[in-house]
Amino acid sequence: MSQYNDSSYYSGGGGGGGYIAGGSPFSQGGSPGGRVRSDISHSLRPVKISQLNKATQAHADAEFRLDDVELGNVSVVAQAVSIQPQATNCVYHLDDGTGRFEARHWVDQESETNVLNWGGLRESMYVRVTGSLKGFHGKRYLNTVHVRPITDKHEIFFHEMEAITATLTVERGPPGGTGPKATAASGSKDVTMTDASAYSAPSTSVAQDQYAHLPKLQQAIVRFMMEQPPSPEGTHVFAIARAVGDGNDAQKISAALDQLMDEGLVYTTSDDNHFTLAN
Amino acid sequence: MSALEREISPRVNAEMLPKWIGKTVRLTCKLLNFDSESERSFRVEASDGGQVVIQAINTGEPFRPDDIYLEVIGKVIDATTISMLGCIGMGNELDMKLVNDTVILIHDPRFFGKMFSY
Repeated sequence: MSQYNDSSYYSGGGGGGGYIAGGSPFSQGGSPGGRVRSDISHSLRPVKISQLNKATQAHADAEFRLDDVELGNVSVVAQAVSIQPQATNCVYHLDDGTGRFEARHWVDQESETNVLNWGGLRESMYVRVTGSLKGFHGKRYLNTVHVRPITDKHEIFFHEMEAITATLTVERGPPGGTGPKATAASGSKDVTMTDASAYSAPSTSVAQDQYAHLPKLQQAIVRFMMEQPPSPEGTHVFAIARAVGDGNDAQKISAALDQLMDEGLVYTTSDDNHFTLAN
Repeated sequence: MSALEREISPRVNAEMLPKWIGKTVRLTCKLLNFDSESERSFRVEASDGGQVVIQAINTGEPFRPDDIYLEVIGKVIDATTISMLGCIGMGNELDMKLVNDTVILIHDPRFFGKMFSY
C-alpha cells in the first residue's frame, strides 16, 4: 500500500520498518543486560486499546509494561469518537471495539489555525494514532506524535492482524527462526516486521551485535538458545547439539559451550547439561 | 479505568450473533437491500455470507448510506437482527475474506481474552 511507503510510521533507520524515523535504533556500546531509554523510544508496537488499558506500571513514575515488556511507542487504529480542539492541544477519544482511550496531540497554535481540519480528520472517522503511553494523576492517555485518517479500510483489519503478530512475536520471538522460509520472508520489502526488537526493548538485536565477534559455532549455539521459549531450566545440550550439530562433534560443541561460559554469555542451570543465556 | 472505557464492541460475523445477544458488536457487512415496508431497516451480508437485518436509528429520515460496505455498530436483538447504534462507511471495495479471517482470529481463545476484551 502506497500510504505505508509515504508514512513516517514505516520509514526510518533499519531498512525494515517498525522504527520511527530520525534515530539510530541501538546504542552499539550498550551493556548486555542494560537497556537505555533511547532504545525503548525507538520501538513501535501496534496494539489494541484493551492492551493499553491493561498495561501495568510499578508506580506512578515507572515505565508502562505490556506482556512483561517495556512499552515504547505504540500505534493504534481506532474510531475517533470525538475530537475536541483545545487551547494548546487536541483531544481525541478513541474506540477500537476493545475499549475507549484518550489521545492528546499537542499542536503548535501558530502553524495550525483550525485543528479539526488538520489531515482531514472528522469525528467517527477511523484514524491511526501513534504516540507513547502516559499517566497523569491516575488517568492514562496517549501522548500523540502523529494522527492521520485511514483511507484504505483494509488497514483496519491489517492492524488487528499486526497487533496479534506483535503480541506473539514479543512472547515467542520472531516467526520461523533462521530457516530459509524466514529468510525469504524477511527479505521481502512488503514485510514490515522484522524482529521482536521492533516492538519491544531491543534485546534481540543488541544481543546479536554483542555476539557478532564470536566464532561461527558459538554464534549458532547462542542464536538457537535465543529462539527457544523461555524456561527456568534453559536448553538441554542434546537439543543444542541436534540444532547445530552438522559437522560439529560433541567435543567441539562442548568446547564452544565452555568458551561461552568463560565469557559469561551462558551459564548452567539445574545441572551441567542445561544452559541458558546470561541476559 | 471506568466501566465506559472497558465497554467492548467486538467485530463479529453472522454465525457469531447468537452468542452475543443483548451485547454491542461491530458487524462489517455488505449492503443488500432496504426493507420496502419500513425504510428504517435494511438487509446486509456479513463477512461469512450470512444475512442480517439491521434496524436503523429512527431519525425521521430514511437511512441511506453512501457506501456499499458498512461497519454497523449495534446491539444484537437475535441471531439475525441488530439494532443499529452507529454506522461507518467502509467504501465500495472490501476484501470480505480478509475481514472474515480477521474476525475469526479475533475470537480465537488464544487472543480474545488477552487482547480484545477484559
